[in-house]
Amino acid sequence: MNPSASRIKVQPATESEGRKDYIRIQDYGFWYGAKKALDAISLDVPERRVVAFIGPSGCGKSTLLRNLNRMNDLVDGIRHEGDIQIAGRSIYDPGIEVISLRRRVGMVFQKSNPFPKSIYDNVVYALRIMGVTDRALLDEACETSLRKAALWDEVKDRLNDSALGLSGGQMQRLCIARAIANRPEILLMDEPCSALDPIATGKIEELIHELKAQFTIVIVTHSMQQAARVSDHTAFFYLGKLIEYDTTEKIFMNPSQAQTEAYISGRFG
Amino acid sequence: MSENSKHPPDAPIPARFQVSRFTLLADTWMGRLIRFGGISVVAAVIGMLVFLICQVLPLFSGAKLEPLSPVSFEKTAVGFGEDEYGELPFTCDQTGTLVFRRAYSSSASAPGAVVKTWSPTLTPGQKVTALRTYPRDGIVVLGLSDGNVIEVKVTYKITFDEKGGRTPQPQILASPAQPLGRNLLPCLDVWSVKGPNGHLVICRQQEAGRDFLTAARLPEKFASAGSGLPAPVKAFNIASDIPELERVLVPSTADSVIVIRKDGEVRVYTIDEEDVTFLQSFRPFASLPDSRIAAAGLIFGNVSLVVNSFSGVEEVWSIYPQVQPDGQSLRRWGKIHDCDALAGAGKGIFPAVGNKCYLTVAGGRMQIRNMTNGSLRWDAPAPTSEIRQVVFSRNYDRLTVLSADGVLRRWSVEDYHPEASWNTFFGKIWYEGASAPAYTWQSSSGADEFEAKYSLVPLLYGTIKGTFYALLFAIPIALLAAIYVSQFLRPELKKIIKPTMEIMASLPSVVLGFLAGLWLAPIVDANLLPLICILAALAPAALTAGFAWSSLPQPIRRKVGPGWEFAYLIPFVVFCGWLAWQSAPLIESTFFSVKDVASGQNISDFREWWRQNSGWSYDSRNSIVVGFVMGFAVIPIVFTIAEDALSNVPDALVSGSLALGASRWQTVWSVVVPTAISGIVSGIMIGFGRAVGETMIVVMATGNTPVMEANPFNGMRTLSANIAVELPEAAVGHTHYRALFLGACCLFALTFVINTFAEILRQRLRERYKVV
Ligand SMILES: Nc1ncnc2c1ncn2[C@@H]1O[C@H](COP(=O)(O)OP(=O)(O)O)[C@@H](O)[C@H]1O
Ligand SMILES: [Mg+2]
Repeated sequence: MNPSASRIKVQPATESEGRKDYIRIQDYGFWYGAKKALDAISLDVPERRVVAFIGPSGCGKSTLLRNLNRMNDLVDGIRHEGDIQIAGRSIYDPGIEVISLRRRVGMVFQKSNPFPKSIYDNVVYALRIMGVTDRALLDEACETSLRKAALWDEVKDRLNDSALGLSGGQMQRLCIARAIANRPEILLMDEPCSALDPIATGKIEELIHELKAQFTIVIVTHSMQQAARVSDHTAFFYLGKLIEYDTTEKIFMNPSQAQTEAYISGRFG
Repeated sequence: MSENSKHPPDAPIPARFQVSRFTLLADTWMGRLIRFGGISVVAAVIGMLVFLICQVLPLFSGAKLEPLSPVSFEKTAVGFGEDEYGELPFTCDQTGTLVFRRAYSSSASAPGAVVKTWSPTLTPGQKVTALRTYPRDGIVVLGLSDGNVIEVKVTYKITFDEKGGRTPQPQILASPAQPLGRNLLPCLDVWSVKGPNGHLVICRQQEAGRDFLTAARLPEKFASAGSGLPAPVKAFNIASDIPELERVLVPSTADSVIVIRKDGEVRVYTIDEEDVTFLQSFRPFASLPDSRIAAAGLIFGNVSLVVNSFSGVEEVWSIYPQVQPDGQSLRRWGKIHDCDALAGAGKGIFPAVGNKCYLTVAGGRMQIRNMTNGSLRWDAPAPTSEIRQVVFSRNYDRLTVLSADGVLRRWSVEDYHPEASWNTFFGKIWYEGASAPAYTWQSSSGADEFEAKYSLVPLLYGTIKGTFYALLFAIPIALLAAIYVSQFLRPELKKIIKPTMEIMASLPSVVLGFLAGLWLAPIVDANLLPLICILAALAPAALTAGFAWSSLPQPIRRKVGPGWEFAYLIPFVVFCGWLAWQSAPLIESTFFSVKDVASGQNISDFREWWRQNSGWSYDSRNSIVVGFVMGFAVIPIVFTIAEDALSNVPDALVSGSLALGASRWQTVWSVVVPTAISGIVSGIMIGFGRAVGETMIVVMATGNTPVMEANPFNGMRTLSANIAVELPEAAVGHTHYRALFLGACCLFALTFVINTFAEILRQRLRERYKVV
């Protein structure tokens, strides 16, 4: 366990990086009813970088991720302490509508969840929700996001077919395209590849590399290799606590905490 | 060696791979049982359908006539009569001589054998110059050369021998010659009719080339000879104003005379105790080149006249209330039907008794038609070109035809549903006594000569109307409630509400109908406008409350936990309802003030205003009440099914939509509802089925009048209520009974068509919105 619980400073990895504390989590604690799921988490996510959350099941990775876009709001009996800021503003600021927060912070779920609509309708869903009706605009947004999600070539001839006819990997990429269609700033991914085969996983990992140039990405993963491959920074959680947070290289090559070491080397988890 | 043969502890045990016989047997037998059950269900449904169709099919078959053995009489026979069983028919020739012959062989004599002959006793110089036979009544009237009339009554005395064989014995009673017409002028034609108003005898004579008719009302006993010599009560001279007389028809009510002139004009006179009055004249074929009337006959019931032209046109004229130029409504004759054309000029029209069928002889054919619905029930070639007399038996089970060759041909008639045809059930029909064609259901009445009316259209209309009002009320509430409960309500409240709704679904509809008719209807009646005001205020109130809520600042809103928003909504809506209730009297007096017909004073009463301004009636047991209570029966069903469908939408889709920045309502509307749509459609369809088939509520909560009005403030009669109300009193196999089954078939067809359509729709939607 990290005794200091103070901020772990991260060195910039490349010069293209923007604000270093783009997402700033401060002494954040979170309860599901009486059960404490997160305990005094503090970490900063730099802009346009990929941060991976790793840790054994039930350690609170998803909980933290879902707090970043307040998806947990609908759960009964939740409570939090501390604060989360995005670009310097608290997400609990009364002036911020939770809907606009979610438009800024897109999310891709563990299990792909395309709507039972056409591919096209799935991609432009967020835009339609925002009231965009201009067909040209929608078409353009659809094409760019599908291209960014590396799906365009596979589906461009059947945009009006049901999204449910796609393969698992395609569906997940469709969900990514859907999440980036209204151009959020942050993309949260909760084990996006856990239900996919290695080829589809590879495609999505490539995609994450490309999306990094534009989005700040927080990814939860169970796969150490994946964290090592895609992320710039890695945070290791254990039992609701942040144990270690550093550059991915450092975490994997030379972790400073014994628990991290043990987890990475596969001794528990 | 021994070590090798020892069984290792975790080695496979072959016995465990065996499937037990019992498992296999159970599997086969359960499979068979399930298949049997499934097939039985399908068979039961098909069997029911077949049963329904078997009950209904006889309605649409025509009359079946089987020839019976003919009896040959003399060629001189001009009229005939017969006993109830047609065993001993007689004919009558120009001289008034009656000849009785046996129709069937018996121990006494062969068929065709003469059993008896009879001639009237006349004084010297008297001659029979006119005669008319009334075969069903066994009456023969003879007009004599000196203006006298003799009425002969034939009765049959039945004797039974020891073996139980019956022998009819004809008995003839002749009245003494009765002076009726002008003395010493020969009678050219005679009629004798016994009606409820007395006994009317009419004779036609000619003086100096002019026809005149004399009618006499006689006491009942005219025909029973030996009981004294009754004098005519009153003699009328009808016809000094009728030149060119062609034929005379006397209704069996004996209260009028219809005279047809050679030029085709029909003149109607009424005869009461005092006088003969001219009522009306009309010319049915005035527009044809040949306007003469070739044949005419009064249909059973005496209010309709079938007329044929020489060109084969057939029309039905009837007496019904007509508005006169002075605004008065009087019963006058008018055309009610144009029948199908005949094969040639009409040669005779012979009505049946007990129903509205008649036989027309025209163009060498004999056709039985139904006057009311115009259906052709039987069509056969006429035995000879001239047919002297045709008679249907009293029970409409035998047809006897006397042709010019003196042969009495007889048919047994099997026509159990003469009043049934496609047109009767689904067409607009001009019934006797009505002033226009209409869709009417009226299966029984106090009057004997009443013609049952079996139009299913008002019942279909009522069914659809009741269903419409019920669904209008139930569907929005049930669906909105399902969306609310599945998507917004707190789970702990949902746990209470769902079972409550399911209990509501199990409320017997008798209880609901009872409440509706005896408790709700009077309340609604007494507080109609306030209740309408509340209904009208609820939706805007809820919407305003929602809008006000969404414009409240976030911190205040966050104080109310998710799913508890209704706690804020309820007082607001209740307040609005109260406001509407309070303002109703003001609205009523401002907008719905009318002059009371009885007192002449201004009163503010919405019901009275509705009666006076909508042109529709107002009943306290009306469609609104039915719709409301039937809605109660439908809401839980639709709610339960729709709520299940909505709750089964995967959370992942909801989260996905929310994560994309959709509001909860947007999520519901664009993801949850489309995904659950096939379940929602099923719910609506099952609700529809319930509303269409709902019986007890409608029976108890409406007046059950089969009217066709969209008026929300009167009742209706649905197909199912109709069956429930009338089946107990319908005689098995009777037209009424089968008509009710036809109603059941319609109900079946209605639900079948709509459910099939909905199922196709549902499949399509499911295909479109299916979730992986
Ligand atoms: N909706 C919830 N209600 C109550 N407890 C929850 C809920 N979601 C997760 N938890 C609990 O919070 C802890 C952290 O869960 P989660 O964040 O899903 O872990 P991870 O994603 O790291 O596997 C677990 O112990 C889990 O049981
Ligand atoms: Mg998780």
